[in-house]
Amino acid sequence: MKRGWIAVAVATVAVFGESHGALSITVQDAPPQVAAADTVYGCVLCHADKRKAFIEGIHSERGIGCHDCHGGDPTGLETPTAHTGTYVGTPDKLATVELCGSCHSDPDRMRQYGLHVGQIAEFRTSRHGQLLLGDRNTDAPTCTDCHDAHTILTPDNARSRVHPTNIPGTCAGCHQDENLMAQYGLTIDQFELYRESAHGVGLFEGQNFAAPSCVGCHGSHAALPPQVTEIANVCGQCHVLVRRAFDDGPHGAAAQAGSLPGCTACHSNHQTERVPPDAIAETCTECHAADSRAARLGIQAEELIVGAENDLLAADEAIEELVVAGWQVSDLRFRYQTALTDYLQIAELQHSLDVEQLEDLSRRVGSISRDIRTTAEVSEEQRWEHKLLLVPVWFLTLSAIVLGWFKLRGLKE
Amino acid sequence: MANLLDRTRDALSRWRRRFRGDLKESTDASFLTAPRFFGLLYGPIDRSLPIDQALRKALAHRLPAHVGWRHALGGVAYLLFMVLVVTGVLLSLHYRPSSEEAYGSIQHIVNGVTFGWLVRDVHVWSATLIVIVVLAHMARVFFDGAYKPPRETSWLIGLLLLFVVIAFGATGYLLPWDQWAYWTVTEVLNTVAVFPLLGGLIVTALTGDVFVSGATLSRFFALHVIILPWIAFALLIFHFRMIRTQGVAPPRGAVESDTPGVPFFPHHLLRSFLVTVVVLAIVITLATLFPRPLAELASPVEPPNELVSTWVVVDVSLALIRFFGPWGFTFFTLLGLSMALIPLFDRHPERRHRLVTALGVVFFVGFAILWLVGHQLRFSGPDVGAPPPTEIAEPEQSGAE
Repeated sequence: MKRGWIAVAVATVAVFGESHGALSITVQDAPPQVAAADTVYGCVLCHADKRKAFIEGIHSERGIGCHDCHGGDPTGLETPTAHTGTYVGTPDKLATVELCGSCHSDPDRMRQYGLHVGQIAEFRTSRHGQLLLGDRNTDAPTCTDCHDAHTILTPDNARSRVHPTNIPGTCAGCHQDENLMAQYGLTIDQFELYRESAHGVGLFEGQNFAAPSCVGCHGSHAALPPQVTEIANVCGQCHVLVRRAFDDGPHGAAAQAGSLPGCTACHSNHQTERVPPDAIAETCTECHAADSRAARLGIQAEELIVGAENDLLAADEAIEELVVAGWQVSDLRFRYQTALTDYLQIAELQHSLDVEQLEDLSRRVGSISRDIRTTAEVSEEQRWEHKLLLVPVWFLTLSAIVLGWFKLRGLKE
Repeated sequence: MANLLDRTRDALSRWRRRFRGDLKESTDASFLTAPRFFGLLYGPIDRSLPIDQALRKALAHRLPAHVGWRHALGGVAYLLFMVLVVTGVLLSLHYRPSSEEAYGSIQHIVNGVTFGWLVRDVHVWSATLIVIVVLAHMARVFFDGAYKPPRETSWLIGLLLLFVVIAFGATGYLLPWDQWAYWTVTEVLNTVAVFPLLGGLIVTALTGDVFVSGATLSRFFALHVIILPWIAFALLIFHFRMIRTQGVAPPRGAVESDTPGVPFFPHHLLRSFLVTVVVLAIVITLATLFPRPLAELASPVEPPNELVSTWVVVDVSLALIRFFGPWGFTFFTLLGLSMALIPLFDRHPERRHRLVTALGVVFFVGFAILWLVGHQLRFSGPDVGAPPPTEIAEPEQSGAE
């Protein structure tokens, strides 16, 4: 009986919906075209696995069907009737580039999605594009090798091969293939080195998508290792202030002249790491003679930076001590931030090798740190003074015990 | 040394006798004004309220001969309670019970108020010592079999007082509003919420919000300084009244005796004085040498790296929670509550029920072990709200091709 009423209600709504615009939202909420067209889409009869993969992707959401890429007649229910006419089957790597470009290079089509149309042009300039399109070398990847053929997901989808955290793995798919890379004289350790680098740790462990993956330095569609003279520019896209300081110093001029591999000379490339302050002088001697003026400059810079770092750490510890002792430390924290800002400036300005500026900043860090530590020393002295209270307390206590004990003994007698 | 002390004592008594004699023989009006004025005021009061008589009666009271130093534990607990009341009142002059101001007011008490650090740390240490002393007092009563008829009610009231003492400490624990206090209370409330039926209701009523917040702080403060003190004073008066009426229980196996023993004054009072002095000195020493550290300001969105416990019951609770989970905590709480039922099963004046002995040993020894173990641990941050460990994402390999 209850089911009968539900059936009547559904039928009423359906009839009402057909004749009234108020319910037309139901029609608009219908599933996307592919799902709607499934009933007349012959491809899925044989390629059910492909359909499953395809409907998860962005192309399915945009209403693109199998025949838009593969041609043929989707209404055909058997192979002879379906694989006819414009049917192209599985396009090879070269054809894939053209096929994808036929839409993605069309400004009129891409405008609505806010996508730029330069991917194919960029791809031609990349090493991958030079090999594939220029040399017809099918070792090089085509569009579907990075983006997948059917499950094409947008980069903001965590399952996408081109999601920031997945890009290193996608590149490593080929660049860790020892046999393949040996043909081109390339090493296969980039992924492992990157994973341990400051950038890799930031991306994988910190989930910091601002940390560059492979494409951050090499480009994506235009992937190519930067030239020696370009390295500082590539790193400088993110490390703007460091690059400015680097350009102002003697190393900047050498890098522009092509005699120094820019930032990678000290920080390496894939295993990009921060040179620890106490290893600065040692790093300098990798290129400069130990008794040279440049090496002495390195020692000077190291002393200043290590000193500032120690001052900063001591200030931090002093603040922690004060917190535990119940002091109000908001002002001290503010001063600590000022010192930290100065220290970060040191980290940038050391690339200019301007020792005077480094000395000035280091002095400021030291001054603030001393102030903070002095406050902590005052707190420590107070705690010590508190302990002096125990002298009269225990003098009175012991006196009371002695007098009371004698009195008690007298009472017992 | 003894000679010197005896001579000092004699000199003091000679001076006192001479002073009294001078006072009696004096005809100097101005010298006598003060005592006469006091007499004029006190005389009518004493006639209607026989204070003097009551005082003399109290001092003339005699305790059983077996009453000794171990019977001072109850008095020490009361002393610590009064220390907590006095220091608590002093702290309340400066403490501000709101999530915005609580932490800052504690910093002000510690560093901006004269001897504020001492008042606060004496309060904190007294809160720990009172639990230990009450439990020691309870263990003494338990192993003396003093809970047996006719003192069942006194035992029950004592248990309620233990519960009130723990409730005092638990509600006071949140008041500093630092990270350790905040997240310890959060963890304990999450554990209590697991209790069937009542757990969720209790936690909702105490929290007053979906998580520990300013509303919780207000509730804890009201319980700590308004509701619990009234309950505690009422229970204390009842407890003392019962002891006075029924007398101090005889040692285990001994028969109740009506023969008067030691006089309350000066014998027992002097002993109490000595114990009081020593206890106060110990509290001040602990407060001076081991001040309660303060963590960072409480943050509901950022659990601390570690939880440092600063109260004996928290040591025990967190040890139970970490080693045995919520049900271990529940079991031990129920074990403590079951102590209330002991007088129902163990009523024979001389023999003791084996199960009751086992129950008491497990509770008291278990508490001591859990405290010692819990105090050694530095708990890592609570699980609540902690971000999951990050793993390096492996590239997605969709099998579409």
